[in-house]
Amino acid sequence: MTARPLRKAGQEERLRVLKGRKSRRPALAPWMSMVLIAVIAFLGLGFARTSLDKSAFELATLDKAIAEQIALNQQLNLEIARLENPARIAPLAEELGLVIPENTRQLLVDLVPGGPSVARVDDDGNTQ
Amino acid sequence: MAATKAARRFNPVRARIALIGLFIIGSWIAMGYRLVQVQVVQATELADQGLSQRLVSRDLPPQRGKIYDRNGELLALTVEAQSLYAVPSQIEEPLWVAQQVGGLLDVDPDLLYERLTSTKDFVYLKRQLDPDEADEILSLGIRGINPLPEPKRIYPAGVVASHVTGFVDVDGNGQEGLEYIYDDELRGVPGSAVFERDRQGRPIPQGTNDIIPAVPGVDLNTTIDLPLQYNAQEACVAAVERTNAESCWVVVLHVETGEVLAMTGAPVFDPQTRQTSNPKCDNAEDEASCRAFSNFVVRGIYEPGSTQKLITFAAAIEEGEVGVGTVIPDVTDVLELREDACRSADDDTYGCYRDFEEHETADMTVSEIFTRSSNVGSILVAEKLGQDRIIEYITAFGLGGETGVDYSAEAPGLLNFEAGCETCWASAALGYSVAVTPLQMAAAYAAIGNDGIWTTPHIVGTKTDINGNTEVAGIATHRVVSEGTALLMRQLLARVVEEGTGQAAQVQGYLVGGKTGTANKLEDGRYTEVTRASFVGLAPVEDPKIVVAVLIDAPDSDHRTGGQAAAPVFAEVMTQALHRLGVAPDAADRVGNE
Repeated sequence: MTARPLRKAGQEERLRVLKGRKSRRPALAPWMSMVLIAVIAFLGLGFARTSLDKSAFELATLDKAIAEQIALNQQLNLEIARLENPARIAPLAEELGLVIPENTRQLLVDLVPGGPSVARVDDDGNTQ
Repeated sequence: MAATKAARRFNPVRARIALIGLFIIGSWIAMGYRLVQVQVVQATELADQGLSQRLVSRDLPPQRGKIYDRNGELLALTVEAQSLYAVPSQIEEPLWVAQQVGGLLDVDPDLLYERLTSTKDFVYLKRQLDPDEADEILSLGIRGINPLPEPKRIYPAGVVASHVTGFVDVDGNGQEGLEYIYDDELRGVPGSAVFERDRQGRPIPQGTNDIIPAVPGVDLNTTIDLPLQYNAQEACVAAVERTNAESCWVVVLHVETGEVLAMTGAPVFDPQTRQTSNPKCDNAEDEASCRAFSNFVVRGIYEPGSTQKLITFAAAIEEGEVGVGTVIPDVTDVLELREDACRSADDDTYGCYRDFEEHETADMTVSEIFTRSSNVGSILVAEKLGQDRIIEYITAFGLGGETGVDYSAEAPGLLNFEAGCETCWASAALGYSVAVTPLQMAAAYAAIGNDGIWTTPHIVGTKTDINGNTEVAGIATHRVVSEGTALLMRQLLARVVEEGTGQAAQVQGYLVGGKTGTANKLEDGRYTEVTRASFVGLAPVEDPKIVVAVLIDAPDSDHRTGGQAAAPVFAEVMTQALHRLGVAPDAADRVGNE
């Protein structure tokens, strides 16, 4: 090592002010803002992605539920068709005492001129 | 001095720091190496491997189209059922499993045991079970038994509509009837799905997702009226029991449109079990053949007998050879077209023609000949036409060829006019030497009901696809006789029912026209006493809406004629048909304005 030379007595360091130059402090705010925005964007992207995936899984679950309901609907339609089968209903009707009418008499009714006619409503709301 | 220098050269603290530093750096280098190896060198290989684990490829089976009746009632649809299969290598106690499962599934345990001890990787235990039945087996928790979803065709109307729908096999392929003839349209187009799934089997949303959806089959909207179909079948079942016949067949047509409103028969056929329910089959030599599906309406040919006379007389009137009131002189009750053809009263050699009832030789009008169904008189009328014109009109009325109905394996029928046959024309005039189906006869009578216009019978009215687009069935028509001739024939038919052989076919409140037919069955080249009794008719006579054709095969001797066996069935079915279609009565009592 080399020792520093001692200053002579009376020799002082001369400091002088440089004109035209101002002291500067480093600008942290823009950088902090950018970093903050980047972090928020990153977190937001992650959140959006997660939400999307979560929604997709929910959609898959809903699709499955829809398929189950469709299958249930089909089963119910099938049950309705079976219940409405005439081969099922006719014996039940017979059991309950219902019968097909026999010896029915059919009458064709001719309307008498000047007799009953179809009712109608005039412009004043009166029934004619 | 040297010791101090040495001490300065080796500093244990610094050495440990350096060692740790080297370790850390080495770790980082190792991780970096591994990173590069995985992410760069093996990247493609590992990505492909991962994709192959996640990727699933599946066929998407299409939903088979439904079949409806004209009122929107379901006749056939497909539901998801559960089939059960086993992996034999995973079954630990096959004997016990066979006994337990066989009893619950109603399957022969020996058969099950054979399957469970086979060397195959996959064996069916039973296919297309109801979910409850499958759950009962699965709840036993037997290792190696697994469910497999499968589509199953269901026929809610059961035996009632089986002769219309036909049926499918266990794999869902149409085998008979509408299921067969429309199989391509009913089955739809399969789709496919290729997607990535996670460990739980759920599709990965952001992964590969390539789906081509299946296209469901087309729905068929038939012209069948289910309640009428049921009534017709019940009438047939009762007729078979009443007459002790082999079978009964009924077809109901809409006169103007050719729509088949009902087509059924007895014994009935179960489309789920694919077997005919006929007690007589229990003792049959060939039970399988006895229980096989048959639809005589479309496929069975028979000699129609006197119902054929409609065509003979319509042709003669249309050609101007006779009128309704034309007198045919000297109508006997027996006629020989070959010398000594009628050697004895019991001998039915060809060329010998007899009336059903013996009578004195007399002059008869055309109307009387038709009403009384005189064979001899009919031959005398047909003689004026000649063979060529007889064949022409038989063909024009749709006999001897397919009607074009949309049903599987329709029989064309037969016309037997071989060269050199001197009497074939006479036989054909009476409904022999001609073989027809009940549907052909019904269509011929419908032409008379439709003022002389023949219309193609059809069972499917419209077809509807998944987008709701509806396609209407096309039909063909052609004129066979004039309106005037058709009207005259209807009047003759009405007389048959009013005072002739078809009085049992009368329907209360309506004027009905029709013709009985009693044709002896041919066996081993000779006609027997066993008959096929038929009745074909229409109503109301003035403006016909419905034609019904009934055929009873081999009724007992007390019911051997069309008037005895078939006419009552006709009356019952026609009554229901007229009510179902809301046809106003044309022979009801009138009240008011008197």
